[in-house]
Order: sequence, then C-alpha cells, then structure tokens
Amino acid sequence: MKLLPWIIFSVTVLAQWAAPLFQIWTHEQVLMKGTIIKLKCSAPDPYDPLRGRFLAVRPEPTEASLPEGLKLASGSPVYITLTPGADGISTITGLSLEPPRQGTFLRVHARSSYDNKASITWPFDRFYINEKLAPEADRWFAETINSSKGIIAEVRVFQGRAVLADLVFNDKRFRDILKARIK
Amino acid sequence: MNTSHRRWLLEQLPKWEQEQLLTADSLRVLRERYAVDESEVGLAQMVMGILGALLIGAGLIAVIGYNWDDFSRPVRLLFAFLPLLLTQLLSMRVLRGGQAIAAWLRETAALLQALATGACIALVSQFYHLGGEWPDFLFWWFLLSLPLTWVLRSNAVAIFYLTVIAVWSVNQVDHGKPWQDSPLIYPLLLLGLLPYWPGLRSRTPLPISVRWVMTLSSILGLCSAAIFVCERQGGMYGFGYDDDAFIWLWTLIAAALVLFPLNHAGIHESTGRKPQVVLGTLWLLGYGMAATFHNFNNSFTRGVSQALKLPWCWGLLAVLAAFAFLAFNQRRWSLLALASVVPLPLVAGQLSQAGIGSGSLLAWLVTLHLSIIGLMLILFDFYGSRGAPRLGALMLSMLIIARMADSHFSLLIKGFVFIAVGVAFLAFNFFMSRRHRLAAQSNS
Repeated sequence: MKLLPWIIFSVTVLAQWAAPLFQIWTHEQVLMKGTIIKLKCSAPDPYDPLRGRFLAVRPEPTEASLPEGLKLASGSPVYITLTPGADGISTITGLSLEPPRQGTFLRVHARSSYDNKASITWPFDRFYINEKLAPEADRWFAETINSSKGIIAEVRVFQGRAVLADLVFNDKRFRDILKARIK
Repeated sequence: MNTSHRRWLLEQLPKWEQEQLLTADSLRVLRERYAVDESEVGLAQMVMGILGALLIGAGLIAVIGYNWDDFSRPVRLLFAFLPLLLTQLLSMRVLRGGQAIAAWLRETAALLQALATGACIALVSQFYHLGGEWPDFLFWWFLLSLPLTWVLRSNAVAIFYLTVIAVWSVNQVDHGKPWQDSPLIYPLLLLGLLPYWPGLRSRTPLPISVRWVMTLSSILGLCSAAIFVCERQGGMYGFGYDDDAFIWLWTLIAAALVLFPLNHAGIHESTGRKPQVVLGTLWLLGYGMAATFHNFNNSFTRGVSQALKLPWCWGLLAVLAAFAFLAFNQRRWSLLALASVVPLPLVAGQLSQAGIGSGSLLAWLVTLHLSIIGLMLILFDFYGSRGAPRLGALMLSMLIIARMADSHFSLLIKGFVFIAVGVAFLAFNFFMSRRHRLAAQSNS
C-alpha cells in the first residue's frame, strides 16, 4: 500500500474538519464571552444561492471620524470603539489603527476616507432566516420601514470580533414576530 | 488510442482476416496490443456517476439553504458534519480499493466529498450569520477540495477546481486588492494541479474535457491577472485599466498557450485534441488581422510600450521565450510562425521611434509577415515538412478580405474579389484533399 496518498488524504480530511470547527470555536467564544451591543440598522431580504434566504443587515453608523493626521488606504483594517447611548444603542466613538486599551472595540475595514471621515465595512452583513419566514420578513420590512423605532441588531463583541446574535424590533425577537404573523 | 478506437479496430479485424489483408500473426499481435479492458469505465457510466454526485451535493446545499431554525444548534451541526463524514468514509473505502475500484465510483466519491465540504462550510457560516462575499467562500472550498484530485485522481474534481479558480480570479479583478487576494496568484493555483500527474509523469493522457476546461480556465485566470496588473491610477475618471497594454499581454498568453510544451505523443495528436492550440491560434490570428488595419496601429504600439513597464509582462516574456526555445527544438515550425506575430508591434514601435516608416508601419509589417507565413505554411507541406496548408490558405484569404474591407473599391469590385477568394479557397481545399489521397495511395 502506498503511503503518500494516505498521508495526503488524512491531512485533507483533517483540514476539511478543522476549517469549519475553527469557525465554530471562534464564533462560540464570541457568543459566550462577548459584550452585547445594539446597533440600529435596516434589513431588506435578498437571497444567497448557497446559503439560502437572509436579511441584509446594514448597521446605520457607516462613518467614523478620523484622528488628526491619520490617512487610510481603501481596505485597511482599523479598530472602532463602540459606546452605548442613553437609549442603549451603540455608536462609533473612536477609530484607531491599534486595538484600544479600554471599551468595547471591533476590527473593521475602511472602505474609503474623505474630509477627516472614514466609511467602514462591518464584519457582519446578513442574518439568515428560514425559507418559510423570508417572504413574511419581506412584507413586514416594507410595512415597518418608516417606523421611528427601527430594527436593532444585537451583536456580541469579543476581542475585536463580532457575531450577529439576533435582530430585535420593539423589544421583540425578529423570528418571534414573523412566526406570530404567519400563524 | 482510446477505448472506442480500440473497439472499432477489433471489430474490423474479422473482416480484414476474411479479405486476407493480414496474416494470422499480425492479427494476433493487433488483438493483443489493442485489447479492450472490459473493466474500464464507459462514458455513460461516468456521466451517470458524476450526475448522481452533483444532484446529491446540490440537494444537500438546498436542504441547508432552507435553514432549519426549529432544530437546536447541535442537531444542525450534525446536518453539516454527517454528510462530510459519510463521504470521507466512502472516499477512504475507494482509496483502499485502489485500482480494483471502478473509475466512476472513484469520481463519484471524490465529487461527493468536495460538495459535502462546501455544504459544511456553508452551513457553519449560516449558523453564525457570517458575512463575506461568495468568492471568499469559494476560495476555501476549492483549496479544501484540491487534494482530492491528487489522491483519488478525480477528473470531475479537477474540472470543478479549474472552473472555480477561474471564476474566483475573474471576480478578484478589483481596484485596490492586495496581490495575495488578486488574480496574480492564479498561476500558483493552477500549479496546484501538478500533482494530479503523480510524480509529474503522466500515466494516461488527460481526457479531452479536462483539457478544454484547463485551457479555458487558464485563459480566464491569466487574462484576469493581465487586466489586474494594467490598473491605471489617476486621470479624469479616477482609476481604470490600460486596455492597450492588457491586449498585448493577452496576446503573449495566447502565444504561450500555442507553444505550450508537449511530449512526442502530444505533438502528433490531432489539433482538435489540443484546445490550447485551437484557442491560442484563434486569438493570434484575430490580433494579427486587427494589426493589419491602420487605425489600430497607435494603440497597439502604445500598448506594447506600456506593457513592457510591468514586471508581470517580463515574467510572461521569459516563459514565452522558454516555450519558444522548446518548440524550436521540437521543430514546431507552424506554431512558431504563428507566434512570431507577437513581437511585431514592438519592432514597429522601435522603428517608428528611430524615424523609420510612417504611422502605419505596423499594418504593413504585419500584412507582409502574415502573407509570408501563409505562403510558407502551404509550401512546407509541398516540400514534405509538417505544414498547415489550409491554415496558410485561410490566412491569405483573410488578408485579402481585410484589405478589401478597408479599401476604397466599389462594392461591385469587392463582391467579385470575395467570390474569387471563395472559389480559390474551395479549389485549394479540393486540391489538397486530392493530393493527400494520392499520396496515401502511392504510399500503400
């Protein structure tokens, strides 16, 4: 029996398990240990051919003020500090090239910079939902798009990484609202 | 000789025996040499196996896409990992079976495992609402599937890999991407298939389907890299791509494809089984014909001077020089003649800078060059060398048509010339067929 094919096959099998398991471990860490932050966002309903229906989550703060003299190239990684306001909704209160020593921070990418401001790309942009709930989500979104309350994204943040935990509207979980509507 | 050719030959032998064309000894030798291995897989069996694997894989991904949020996370994780485990066990069984395992089963197992890997990654990213673009997902998917082509020697996974790296490369032609996330790594990704030939020695020739996909993938991947390196900063519209420069880089790629080194058996295969020659020739002919039009001259010569400022261009030139040297050693004259159109814009540019010739120097140079090549391709055949008379005649006809197109003759004259060229082309084709038939008869 030739050894080399077996070695390659074993390494491949290990890698095929390690890649998703590493993702699971990293994101479970964030979900278990992370600080919860809330972001106002919009969430229309598009489709991914491989991963199914999702809501395109677009957190509203998309810009951060640049510190004096800092210039950013498109796509460069930066750290933003998130601070909750009186209503519990977090806003971006700082931007730096290094992780800040205090506060809740998140690693994001700068899309472009102009007039002492940088537009950022959030590390999460989709919330997957059940195919059965998706059409209802679309209708619900159209009805509530002008609501002053807005959709809130609950995000767990840990050591600069973020996992989108849930979407909330009017203190109710998004899935619960949709399930109640289709009953 | 493939299985269907062998079968045809074996079917003819009784008839030839009856007609006493062959001796009993010759018949025995032919039967032994071209015996058909009945355990070899048929095309239909292979297609059915691959189709089955594709359907199961697509079904798996669709089931995942439904998003079973009524189930707990561990149960959903089971959905992701159970198919992966099962397909890995099947591949292990196939690997243990070695040569005794039917080829269709080997292909099916490899493809199923590749698809289950993709489904598993997709499901995990669905659980955690991971963002990111689909090319990132593709990147990890094809990297984790690549070793299956090495260990299971799967043509289906090789085709999948080649298709996906081409799609990924085309998508990565984007402003501001770092080189390691751009089509510049395409040549490395393509080299990843090298162990597909164990020990870099080919046991069996690559199937024609893999050759076509490999050629198309190479064209898309390398041409994407050419566009990427031709990014132009500044100007009225911000960044853009220097199309004059990348068109010459594409021509270098076409020449490299045409001259791609082949072994002795590969050189003597029919052109139809060499897609890199077919597609490379088409581009070189198109480029050559376009260069004979005066209005393209400036952009073609400017493109060369711009391209020569790029390190990627020098890398391509080095590869092309090596391929040309090997082709020269192997006496592949027709293809060398065809590839010789590549340096003409460079020569014309240098001559123009030295004050020799007008702004349409390139057009005249290429017209003259292609006319000589066309004639030589015909003459090679007449003097017993390996030529390409029909290609030569086609080049001459195209040149005449091109010159008619940009001339000021009346439609009537152009019409008569077109008819004359058409008749001459058909007559030449008839003459060549007759000549080859007579030569074959006199040899026998």
